[in-house]
Amino acid sequence: MASVKLTKVKKVYDNKVVAVHDFDLDIQDKEFVVFVGPSGCGKSTTLRMVAGLEEISDGTVEIDGVVVNDLQPKDRNIAMVFQNYALYPHMTVYDNIAFSLRLQKMPEDLIYEKVTNAAEILGITPYLMRKPRALSGGQRQRVAIGRAMVRESKVFLMDEPLSNLDAKLRNEMRAEIIKLRQKLNTTFIYVTHDQTEAMTLADRIVIMKDGYIMQVGTPTECFDMPANLFVAEFIGAPKMNIMKTNLIKENGKYYVTPFGSKIEVTGEKGEELKKRNVEPKEILLGVRPEHITLAKPGEGITTRLEVNEMMGSELHLHVYTEDETRLIVRVPTINLTADQRTNMVFGTPLNITFEGKVMHFFDPETEKNLLLD
Amino acid sequence: MKKTDSAAVQPVMKKHMGIKAANRISNTILYVILILMSIIWLIPFVCIVVQSFRVYPTGMSRYLFSHPDISFRWGFDNYINLWKSNFPKWYLNTFIIALFVAVVQTVIVLCMSYTLSRFRFKLRAPMMKFMLILGMFPGMLTMIILYQVLKDLGLALENAVPGLMLVYVASSGMGYYVSKGFFDTIPKSLDEAARVDGATRAQVLFKIILPLAKPIVIYTILTAFMAPWGDFVFAKYIVGVNPSAYNVAVGLQDWLSTSANVSENYTKFCAGGVVVAIPVTILFICLQRYYVEGVTGGAVKG
Amino acid sequence: MKKYDELEYLKLSKWKKFVYRFLSFFASIPLKIWNGIKGIGRFFAKIGIGIANECKDIGHTFVKGDWKTKTSYLVMGFGNLTRGQILRGLMFLLFEIVFIVYMVIPHGGIYWLSMLPSLGKISPSGNGAYDPVLDTYVKLEGDNSFKILLYGVLTIFFIVAFIYTWRANVKQNKIAEEILRTGKPLKSGKDDLRSLVDDNFHKTLLALPTLGIVVFTVMPIVFMILVAFTNYNKLANGVDNELFHWVGMRNFKQMLTWSGSGGTSYVATFGEILLWTLIWAFFATFTNYFLGIMVAMMINKKGIKFKKLWRTVLIMTIAIPQFISLLYVSKMFDKNGIINGLLINLKLINPSQAIDFWNDTAHSGLLARVMVIVVNIWIGIPYLMLIATGILMNIPADLYESAKIDGASGIKQFTKITLPYMLFITGPYLLTSFTGNMNNFNVIYLLTGGRPTNGAASTGEASVGHTDLLITWLFKLANNKGEYYLASVVGILVFIVVAVISLVVYGLLPSVKNEEDFQ
Repeated sequence: MASVKLTKVKKVYDNKVVAVHDFDLDIQDKEFVVFVGPSGCGKSTTLRMVAGLEEISDGTVEIDGVVVNDLQPKDRNIAMVFQNYALYPHMTVYDNIAFSLRLQKMPEDLIYEKVTNAAEILGITPYLMRKPRALSGGQRQRVAIGRAMVRESKVFLMDEPLSNLDAKLRNEMRAEIIKLRQKLNTTFIYVTHDQTEAMTLADRIVIMKDGYIMQVGTPTECFDMPANLFVAEFIGAPKMNIMKTNLIKENGKYYVTPFGSKIEVTGEKGEELKKRNVEPKEILLGVRPEHITLAKPGEGITTRLEVNEMMGSELHLHVYTEDETRLIVRVPTINLTADQRTNMVFGTPLNITFEGKVMHFFDPETEKNLLLD
Repeated sequence: MKKTDSAAVQPVMKKHMGIKAANRISNTILYVILILMSIIWLIPFVCIVVQSFRVYPTGMSRYLFSHPDISFRWGFDNYINLWKSNFPKWYLNTFIIALFVAVVQTVIVLCMSYTLSRFRFKLRAPMMKFMLILGMFPGMLTMIILYQVLKDLGLALENAVPGLMLVYVASSGMGYYVSKGFFDTIPKSLDEAARVDGATRAQVLFKIILPLAKPIVIYTILTAFMAPWGDFVFAKYIVGVNPSAYNVAVGLQDWLSTSANVSENYTKFCAGGVVVAIPVTILFICLQRYYVEGVTGGAVKG
Repeated sequence: MKKYDELEYLKLSKWKKFVYRFLSFFASIPLKIWNGIKGIGRFFAKIGIGIANECKDIGHTFVKGDWKTKTSYLVMGFGNLTRGQILRGLMFLLFEIVFIVYMVIPHGGIYWLSMLPSLGKISPSGNGAYDPVLDTYVKLEGDNSFKILLYGVLTIFFIVAFIYTWRANVKQNKIAEEILRTGKPLKSGKDDLRSLVDDNFHKTLLALPTLGIVVFTVMPIVFMILVAFTNYNKLANGVDNELFHWVGMRNFKQMLTWSGSGGTSYVATFGEILLWTLIWAFFATFTNYFLGIMVAMMINKKGIKFKKLWRTVLIMTIAIPQFISLLYVSKMFDKNGIINGLLINLKLINPSQAIDFWNDTAHSGLLARVMVIVVNIWIGIPYLMLIATGILMNIPADLYESAKIDGASGIKQFTKITLPYMLFITGPYLLTSFTGNMNNFNVIYLLTGGRPTNGAASTGEASVGHTDLLITWLFKLANNKGEYYLASVVGILVFIVVAVISLVVYGLLPSVKNEEDFQ
């Protein structure tokens, strides 16, 4: 139970490659923070620097107000779950979980109590005498978590713990982690490349790219107000549609003109534009696929269908406009008749439109959100 | 090939039968080759065993045990003679050396290879390069000076046994390749997990890595133990002409070194060879699995 | 030679591609060697820059340091002691005292260094010096060239170690001052000891192996390299006969020029032996390699039974110490050996026609040369069979399946999948086994002892044989003739040959560069 503070943390490898640039972050006590980003963005490196497995090139890491830069991992009072579980193959599940306690020279009866307790919570009691190789992926994952749990450490680190599991198990374990978090009530730092995991688990998300923090915020903030183009495209699936278009101002109202149409910017976004008195100019317009709706023929933007992905509850329609811009439209299945659905084939003309309140505006040069700084 | 009832694939079906027949022929040829090979590979060892029981050493080796001029007889005479000669002393020398080398060399090799596999320190790459270059010098070159130094220290000639132990063991750190290759295959995240769990680096080695490295430990012990039985050149150079300090290789070679010796000692040599080979072979066959693992791993990792 | 770019190259016919690659490999050799030399140059440049930087830092530390640091320049460990790091301080101080004492005692470091340029003045076997007062020759205690050279080298190593330690001592002061400035406590002796099993565990682990390598490999090699520039031999051994002394490049000249004593020259012998060494290494490596793969494939073939039996038969031969099998096989093929006995019994030859496998000098001992290669195959196949079996089993089966679907025959599968895969994986092994065979002392010495005697090469240089490798020649020069300086010249030349081959081939190996890939 502790706060973690990273100040201007930097990682430079021997070959002069900078993996993490001046990383600043203040993690509150009992907060669940998720580092997310594509592979190679430095998220794991940052986590490993907190753990003490990677040397910190510059800056400081504080746990509970103590600078831990020069401390060994074992002296930092952390627990960690690894991507490949890192279970000791020659030890039984019981010994695996008891390992850290034995190193602390804890009496065996206390160890027994703690290990069985953790096993009970994780539902692995029947496997305590097995070796890791006799366990399934999900069970191994639980053992790894159990091993971290019994340490009762100040900070709980997880490095892509679910990425070796199949989709179904991953969903189950995600729910388990949420439950676990409530039980443990400690500070979590969780690394993943999966934005869904990040959105569902986090109190706060740290989105990283090429060693830089792109945005820090709650899942809602990141989704509603992405700080830049990268975050906009990274959060949400399928990813946000980006259109090059003009922002114009007529009679005090803002309009965008994608593909020859003209749509007024309304709602909060419109107010914000007015408040900031944004200069009309060429912009990048972002609209999420679920915010685009099908329009009547002749209205809105004229496109043609390229691919029709039937997802069950919804359709993902990949369409292209006259100037060959690719867009994705997410349509709930319930909005369409069976005939309509089967008639949608390659080349079918589709008209689409979207409302003024769901737009995102980015500067084409800096790629920053026009409504944030 | 799957069975189908289509007429179009009928010719293929015929060919299918052909393949089977051809297979049978080629397998037969292979069996013949394999049997021949086995004979070729075993013949010297069969001969050596047979000749070790031949009583008459004279006439050397043109005959296995019978000879037109001499009435044939066999018995344990050679083994008895062996017992009366210096051979037991040589055997003991070699055994002591092998035991010592097996223990100390294993420790040194494991230290070296584990460190080079797991730690990233400033001098690591230069050290490995340096050892690579060092390995390009013929090891025999160092023999000349080591002999002189050991002689000055009183560890050569008649006291060669401790001297040989020292020489065999001293530079064994350079033979780290195979076991480093093995350590490299143990995931590093195990070390990291253990360190997060509160283990020191030393505890990581003793509690996590060593238990997992059993195959390579056994391989290292096995090869370290076997090497002194076969070493000839260093031993010969350092011992000089001091039969009491010979190891088996030098001693047995000495029996065959001049043609006058040969006719006298030939069958005794065979008996000696058998006595040396038996325990080493038994040990080897028992631990074969580990040896195979080490050799193949070593070649793959370079 | 014309250079093709990638697309042009793809358009070439198969044969042309092969020729092109063959030629470009050989065309690249000079460049590789040049790069190697440049690498050595860069290495020294780096060392130079490194030393310059160190010196600068030493100066800086002195100027900026407090009086404790400054005193430490003279009294090592003073800074540590006064700042409370007693253990480190005592270690430094002790080392300095030992060093100084070693240097100044009679027959200590300074003495050995001063004798090093001359390697001794008073011959151990001489009559001694004429004493005009006593009017007689006074037998003086002779110098010992060997010891002078040995302890000279040792002293130089010691001095280097001292400078390194002194530098570490200076650096410690700088670091300590920095730490104290930030207000943190210094590491105590207890911390230091604890870090030896944790943070600095690698130092603990490496201490013993490195010490062994330095004392028993590095120093002897340095010593022997120096010997190549002296006339150290049995007669001038510097201990009880004549002193030996520096002769500059004379030995290399003697080895590498045509002017020899008595109408022969070493360079001819050297060239001949080198050629045979390379031929031997080539055949010994590749015959074993390909035959080993073939045997492994035969045993692995589907439908062949008793796989374990065949393997065990071969593996057994590994277990038996090589010197036994080699000596025995050597006697089997002796003029009076079993093989001849068999041939006679079968009435294939007359007793008088017994084949002298090891001593037939016809065609530069061709028979013996072929025989050692054949026997080496017998020795080597079991190893290669083991290695190949391991790798063959690791080749992904879907490679073969996709090849079959693409219509590849059995032979095509071998040449297009099995062989390239094997070569890729075992590239480094092939290289080390080639250089290992160049120095394969046991097989040659125990089988033939270098026989059959090479009359032409041996004049004046007794007992050089047709099957002698450089390494057995080296042994004979040292062991039989006591020509230590020539032996070390040969040793250096062997090193150069091996290094050049490794340098050229090393770059070709794809699996070498990716050491970290396995982790």
